[in-house]
Amino acid sequence: MEIKETDNGWQEGMAKSITFIVTKDCQLACKYCYLVGKNEKERMSWETAKAAIDYILDREHDEMFDTESVIFDFIGGEPFLEIELIDRICDYLKVQMFSRNHHWFNSYRFSFSTNGINYDSEPVQRFIGKNIGHLSIGITIDGTRRKHDLNRVWKHSNGEAERGSYDDVVRNIPLWLNQFPGSSTKVTISSADIPYICESVLHLYSLGIHEVNINCVFENVWNEGDDIAFEQQLMQLADTIIDGDLYRDYACSFFSEHIGKPLDPVNDNQNWCGAGRMLSIDSAGNFYPCTRFAQYSLRSKKAWMIGNIHDGIDKNRLRPFLTLDRLTQSPRECIDCEVASGCAWCQGENYDAADTPTIYQRATAICKMHKARVRANNYYWNKLYRKLELEGNREEYEKNKPARKPETC
Amino acid sequence: MKKIIGKVTPEEKQEIQSLFERRNGLNELARILTADNAELYEKLVRDMGETGTRFQNWWDRMAAKYQWESSDGGNWEINFDTCEIYLVTK
Amino acid sequence: MIKYLIIQVDDTSVSYCHYPALTGKPRLISLDDLRAGILWAMKENVTVQFVYPSYRLPDEYHRVIESIDHADIVPAGCEDTGLLDKADVIVLDGMSRIASHTFRSNAAYVLRTSKEDLLTGRDAVAYLLDRVMRLNVVITDVETFTDDDTERYGKLLGSLAEAVAEQYAAGRNVQFNLLTDRLMLDRMNNCNAGWETIALAPDGRFYPCPAFYGDADKGYNIGDLHLGPDIKNPQLYRLDHAPICRRCDAWQCRRCTWLNCRLTLEVNTPGHQQCIMTHVERNASRRLLPLFPGTEIPEIGYLDPFDIAKN
Repeated sequence: MEIKETDNGWQEGMAKSITFIVTKDCQLACKYCYLVGKNEKERMSWETAKAAIDYILDREHDEMFDTESVIFDFIGGEPFLEIELIDRICDYLKVQMFSRNHHWFNSYRFSFSTNGINYDSEPVQRFIGKNIGHLSIGITIDGTRRKHDLNRVWKHSNGEAERGSYDDVVRNIPLWLNQFPGSSTKVTISSADIPYICESVLHLYSLGIHEVNINCVFENVWNEGDDIAFEQQLMQLADTIIDGDLYRDYACSFFSEHIGKPLDPVNDNQNWCGAGRMLSIDSAGNFYPCTRFAQYSLRSKKAWMIGNIHDGIDKNRLRPFLTLDRLTQSPRECIDCEVASGCAWCQGENYDAADTPTIYQRATAICKMHKARVRANNYYWNKLYRKLELEGNREEYEKNKPARKPETC
Repeated sequence: MKKIIGKVTPEEKQEIQSLFERRNGLNELARILTADNAELYEKLVRDMGETGTRFQNWWDRMAAKYQWESSDGGNWEINFDTCEIYLVTK
Repeated sequence: MIKYLIIQVDDTSVSYCHYPALTGKPRLISLDDLRAGILWAMKENVTVQFVYPSYRLPDEYHRVIESIDHADIVPAGCEDTGLLDKADVIVLDGMSRIASHTFRSNAAYVLRTSKEDLLTGRDAVAYLLDRVMRLNVVITDVETFTDDDTERYGKLLGSLAEAVAEQYAAGRNVQFNLLTDRLMLDRMNNCNAGWETIALAPDGRFYPCPAFYGDADKGYNIGDLHLGPDIKNPQLYRLDHAPICRRCDAWQCRRCTWLNCRLTLEVNTPGHQQCIMTHVERNASRRLLPLFPGTEIPEIGYLDPFDIAKN
């Protein structure tokens, strides 16, 4: 008898995330991109990558690296611009983990978040073929052509016409879904995108993407009235999903039964963000608690380096991250908030936006958008459950509702 | 057709998941290792054999322990999220 | 709430704590800023401490300083012997200062020393304990303290605890920050820079403490005399916003925010070295429990409270 295993979701919360910032270059110049210091020069060398790998694998039993599993994450810019380097890194990792009898050989993934433009290129496809059992690849597509092309535009020189990247990405979606069935996509919303949210989620469903993870940017970009427009878009989306029975097979992270409740100061005091438990390495061999703390990600603060491949990790610089809790970083309005659950933050954006160089000042630019989301979310579940009850389908839905992965930044 | 025929404990699931991951890792490693690196190559071949045996032993052991239903041409699957075992038939 | 104002009267004013004194040319605070600082202190009802350089200040400065009730922090090698004679706190900058100094039994002394000098300087410290009413030992290179130093530090403090016990037996109830402070406290008693104490520097600006003046280019100033102090994120200087410290019982710890910034980049988070050292002190203080009836310091199984505070 043939025996098969299915593997949905992978080691959520149990894996160490190690990010290689392989390049700070990208073909695109997305308008909402938080990477303010992108450039074509800072590319990781093989020597730096190898030194970082050796440093990490040499410390198998250090508490920094003794997690059961590991996710090696490759980020840019656009990571697939450096596919040759990535291929070499992954081969080296596999050989080293195996030859050292490292426990991560039994539990690792290579993870990518790509703009999808050169997904079908020969080198990328060859890489995928070699590592298919250990890959997690997310292609970012923002929705309909007009929504996607509003922000995700090609780099262009002065005087050159702005060109969207929708066509260059969407052509690769079928191949991607064929290779990674059940993949989800990540959509980012800023102020100008609000009118296109509903049509964009539905468009992504129509492309065969069954799970759309979508979130508002944490930066202070919101204008007067954005919350109302956002709420209306989400309610329109809720109506379409429910009236069209799409909820049976599709999921959108905007709608979650667990958001919009007060949070207990004792039991719900944990930090939301994983910065400090992750490790990022840039082309110079510097270590960061998360990519968002590298200089190219920061508008107004100095990079928060925690060491480098030569001197190792300065654990003192991780202490603030590992003792950070929700209450200590939150202003009173967040602590007392009646709809606090599901309101997220990015530790890097908190740092970047803070009045002093601290990760302990929570940015609240997203507040009104979260509250709008909660109102629309309440509408969604009230409407859905009423419908299911009237149809006598609630019990069946509860049994078979699509599983959702936890939201991550 | 796919139906649930049983469930294993989280510890049992962890054992087979680890073997599953190792088997995949060895298979992918085999694509880049050549016989030039004799020592590592031998280690790989040996490990593939051992892991394959342990893998099959797990299914045999669990099938005996839980007396799972089977059918000709069908196969068993495990869902690593739920620890559930399915019988999949065409 | 601000209770204390430390006025650093010159760029070369002595350091009485972990930070290094500035080593450039003398630069006095302007008389106008000095007057304005004193006026601000009077109106805000805060206690003032002046920190002096080694050279004699112009008389005009003394006249202005005498216009407010205050305390003086003076280097042991100060040329102004009149000032030294009435100083509230005298700073010995290094072990080498001990031999040449004439001690006053009614002054508090600060001994600034490197870790290595302290670990090998048991007799010098015992000598001081025999001569002063209060001794604060401050290590100037805390960042060099390694886990390997823990045992040596514990042994040193154990031996100094015997010296303190001898003083008590002789009827001299000497205060020694590393050993007796923890026994006399019933809660955290830290430096509280930026929360209860701020500093006015020679540039006429406020800082959480004089240490931050040395890092003025890093943007640590918290206002000026014209507009008054404006402390951003003031909550981060408070104990309740320090996740490691708020559950710690090494109550004698300085909880030095400047060291915190240097080691962990956050004002509210102490580095491993600071925590280990203060816990060795806390534990060594237990040896003197018989001298403090009714006082309890429970035995604990960690030296770094980060181990219990981390998520």
